[in-house]
Parts: sequence; structure tokens; C-alpha cells
Amino acid sequence: MFRNTREGLALALPAAIFSTLLFLVPVGILLSEAFRGSAGGWSVQGYIDFFSEPLNRTVFLRTLKLGLLVAGTAAVIGYAAAFCIVNLGPKTRGKVFGMVVLPLMISPVARTYAWIVILGRTGIVNEAITGLGLSDTPLRLLFTETAVFLGLLQLFLPLMIISLVSAMENIPRDVIPAARVLGASWIEVFFKVILPLTKEGLVIGGTLVFTGALTAYITPAILGGSKVLMLETLLYQRVNVSNDFVSASVIAMILIVMSFSANLLLKRIATARS
Amino acid sequence: MKTALPLLALAGTMASPALAADRTLTISVYSFAQDEYREALYDPFEEICGCELVVETGNSVERMAKIEANAADPVIDMAVISTQDALSLARKGLIQPLDSAKLSNVAKLYDSAKDPIGGNMAVGYTYYASSIVYRPDLVEIGSWGDLLGADLAGQVALPNVTTTQGPLTLMMLGKAQGHEDDFAPVISSIGDHADDIVTFFSRSSELVQLMNQQEVIAAPVGRFAWASFKNAGLPFAWAEPAEGQAGGMNVMILTKGNGNEDLAYEFMDYWLSTEVQTRIGERLIDSPANREAVLSDEAAENLTYGAEVIEALNILPAAEVLDKREAWVSQWNAEVIR
Repeated sequence: MFRNTREGLALALPAAIFSTLLFLVPVGILLSEAFRGSAGGWSVQGYIDFFSEPLNRTVFLRTLKLGLLVAGTAAVIGYAAAFCIVNLGPKTRGKVFGMVVLPLMISPVARTYAWIVILGRTGIVNEAITGLGLSDTPLRLLFTETAVFLGLLQLFLPLMIISLVSAMENIPRDVIPAARVLGASWIEVFFKVILPLTKEGLVIGGTLVFTGALTAYITPAILGGSKVLMLETLLYQRVNVSNDFVSASVIAMILIVMSFSANLLLKRIATARS
Repeated sequence: MKTALPLLALAGTMASPALAADRTLTISVYSFAQDEYREALYDPFEEICGCELVVETGNSVERMAKIEANAADPVIDMAVISTQDALSLARKGLIQPLDSAKLSNVAKLYDSAKDPIGGNMAVGYTYYASSIVYRPDLVEIGSWGDLLGADLAGQVALPNVTTTQGPLTLMMLGKAQGHEDDFAPVISSIGDHADDIVTFFSRSSELVQLMNQQEVIAAPVGRFAWASFKNAGLPFAWAEPAEGQAGGMNVMILTKGNGNEDLAYEFMDYWLSTEVQTRIGERLIDSPANREAVLSDEAAENLTYGAEVIEALNILPAAEVLDKREAWVSQWNAEVIR
């Protein structure tokens, strides 16, 4: 494509400089801080201290659980939505796809606050529950794991749908009808045809949703508060309340490792299937 | 000559800012009501001193971290912080004792504000009461113990133990439960009721929102936030519990070796003057620590004002907060946040 490798390098240089200066260097500094001992030198004491506290272990496991739940649920809903979208006519598909993308153009703060209107004691859900006589008193829905899960799912579901729609658009149109004609059930079509052919989309969508759910701050802070702490809200507390930058660096490092591990794991699963 | 005059004029305009910059005072203050403070305090002082005030804001942790990080060559000359933060900085040797001779208005302060952390390391400039804001149409509050009662289960919020209001709430709950000297059983009792508490908030602004959404109908809060509730559409009331009100004080400190002490003293003394303390009180920015400040009934009603109110406040010693906070937070994380 290029007359020589210099042209290619010249084009990649701005992005490489940007990534190095604004991502790799700060992450490198953070990484070194997270392994710095109190008496100087290198140490993993910060990690031992972090995981020896029961609260930190609970927060770590809760973050992992919610990240997996959000990514898993987004994949299930995303496949159904993406399958519908790619089978729509061109005009309707554009409109529906636009509706899927629309929430991404709204601030996460506004989107999260909408959940307060829905899940609050005087919100739509509680009005319906008490109105239908299902409960005498409003249920506590805010500041629960369910509220954080719903908020995160709504926040990141569009990323999964977009990734899966892109992947499904590349499936040859006659493959699925052929499988059906040859007697495959819809479940077999999904696991033996659609899933293998869209694995790249699932890896991208899964990574985006899982890492997004792990690192989101606004949604857990507003819908979970200090009762449903996640690693990101714990990190904020350690910096802004306790001035504990060592713990904060350790949490940041754990989040980075979790994000990279998720990506590697999904890639490994996708490769193993093929 | 034709060119000399404009050059002289130009030199004059360039010289003025340089002169003003010679007298610059950098202060570190709480973020709230900065527009009001600008009008009531900063602008009038700049006019009097012919100097420039550089105002740095942020939360306490950030501001303290900055003072600590620049200890060798202080960037901040003077700061206003809580008594426990002031004591923390004093123990680290980051602030200097105040020279009372240079603060003529200290004599006019309530006694507890004159030397609140000992060693003349700080001087109080404002008090705040802390009680329970609640919905009188939905619940009655007669004691701090009502916060953990059945009537408020599922509709009450408490301040996080890491906030200034947190230990004050523990102290008053302790009084209600008969554990005045030991907060451990108080924290355990909160842990027992953790499922009945909607959330543990870190800022009064969070609470204003929760109470306006009717998510919470009672919670402890500082009097400085009362105006936000009073002006809301819902009927909120300020409780007068049997155990009384908790309270605290914010103080002024001077960083060690900042080299700008004279101007800092000038500013601090101006802030503590009857004129400025009255003006700040009348505009409902902060409650006066100067006992000669006389406020209108309307302002007094909104603030922590008057000898009778201030002397009745249950104030938690800064040293106790500083010495025991780590143990409180550890127990809180284990039994309350879980």
C-alpha cells in the first residue's frame, strides 16, 4: 500500500506518540508506584495489605461479579437485538440502529439520574408496585446491587449491540437458511453457525462492556453509594477521603490487570472454539 | 519627547501589576460559597491592602496534601480547615504558632475559638451546630437514638465515619445509648441496623438531593446546610434532640516558613473583625465566632449564633478524632459497610 515503510511509520507516529505519552508512560509510573515498598525498593506488600482486609475482598469480588453479570447479560440481549437489527430492511435498520446508539450521545450522569426517577421510593416502579397492591410500602431499590447492575447494563449494552451487529453483517446471507434447510434447530444454528462467525464481535463487545463496568465511576457512585462499593468508588474514597495513594495505586493496578485478563480470556475462548 | 511620553506611560502600566504582585497572599479555603466570599471578604480586603488574593479551593484531603507536598517551600500562606485537620498538620510540624499580638480581634472571639487545638496553632473563625433534619409530617424526632429506631427503618441516612459529621453522629448516638466514652458499641449498633439505613453519605449536598427525592426522611447534618433544606418545597424541620446538638469549628492556620506572615495576619485579623464576621453572617455564608457580631433575627435563625447556642454545643476534641479515627474506620468497614 505504501511506497516504503517510512510512509507507514509517519502515519502511525502521531497516534504512537499520543498513546505513549498519555497512556503508556502514566500507566508505567502507576505500575511502579503500586509495587513501591514503604521503606523504598520493590514490594508486593501493598497487595497483601489490600487483600487482607475483608472489605476490600468483598469489593473486589462484587466488582468481578457485577462485571461478569453485566457482560453476560449484555451478550444475551445483544445477540437477540443484533439478530433482529441485521434482518430488518435498510430504512428501518438505520432507524433502530440510531435508537441503539442514541443513549451513547447522552451524558452518563443524566442517564444514571434517570434511574433514580425510575427506582426511587416515589419512582415509577414503586408507584406500580404499591398501585397494584403487590406491597404496602415502597421497596428499597436504590443503593442496591440490582440498581448498579441495571445502571451499568443500560450504560454499556449499546457497545455490545454495535459490536455484534458489525459482526453479524459479515455473515453470508445464505448460511443461516442453509443450516435450517439441512435440519439444524435454532439453538444449533446459534452455537454452530452464528457464534463461531461472530466471535470477533463478541470478544470486542465483551471486553468493552466488562472493562466499562469495572471502571465506571458515576453509575456505582450514584446508584450504589457507599453501601455498594465497587473498586472504582473505593479508589475514589482512598484518594479523596483517606489520601491513601498506595491503596489507590494498588486498586488501579488490579483494575488494569482485570481488564487485560478479560480481553486475553475472551480471545483465548474465541480461538479455542475455532 | 513625543515618543518618550507614551513610553513612560507604557512603563507605568507595566509597573503597576508588578507592584501589586509584590503583595500577594495565597489562601486555601473550602470550595463552598466562593462567590459570596469574594463579595463579602476577598474584594474588600484587596481594596484595603492593595494586594492580590490567590484563592485555592478543594476538599480537605486535597488541600492538606498540597500543604504537605510543598512543606519545604510553601505555596499556601494561610488556610482554613477543621480543628482535627489543623491538629494533624501541627503534629507534622507544617504550621506555625500564631502571634496573638498581631491578631487584635482574637480578644473578641468566644473563648473556645481563641486557642482551639492548643499551642496557639490555630484560631476559630466559624462554628457549626449539627443536628437531625427531618420531615415533621412523617416522623417525630426527640432523641439521636431515634435515628436507629423502627419508625425510621429504611428511610434514614447517616454520614460516613470518614466525614466531619460522622464522628459527631457517633458521639451523639453514644450519648443516647449511654456509651459516651467509647464509640465501639455505637458502631456495632449501626452495623446491626445497617440494612435499615438507606446510605452513608459523604457530602451534605448528597443528602439534600436524597431528602428532596423523599428517599430519606431524617438524617444528621451541619447547620451550614440548613438553608438548602429550608428553601426546598417539602416541610423540613431542625430537630432539638434531648441530648442536645453536636457542633464543631473551622479554624485558620499559617503554614510554617511561608515568608508572608505579615499580610496573612492582616487578612486573618480582617476576617475576624466584627464588621466582616457580621457581614458574612448576615449573608448566611458562615456563623460568626466573634461574640460582638450582632445578627438580624432572620440570619440568626439560619446560623449557629449566640453565646447560649455555642456554649451548649457538644464538641468532640480534635485530638480524640485524630487518635481514634483509624480504629473507628476499621471497625466501621468491618461491621457497617461489610
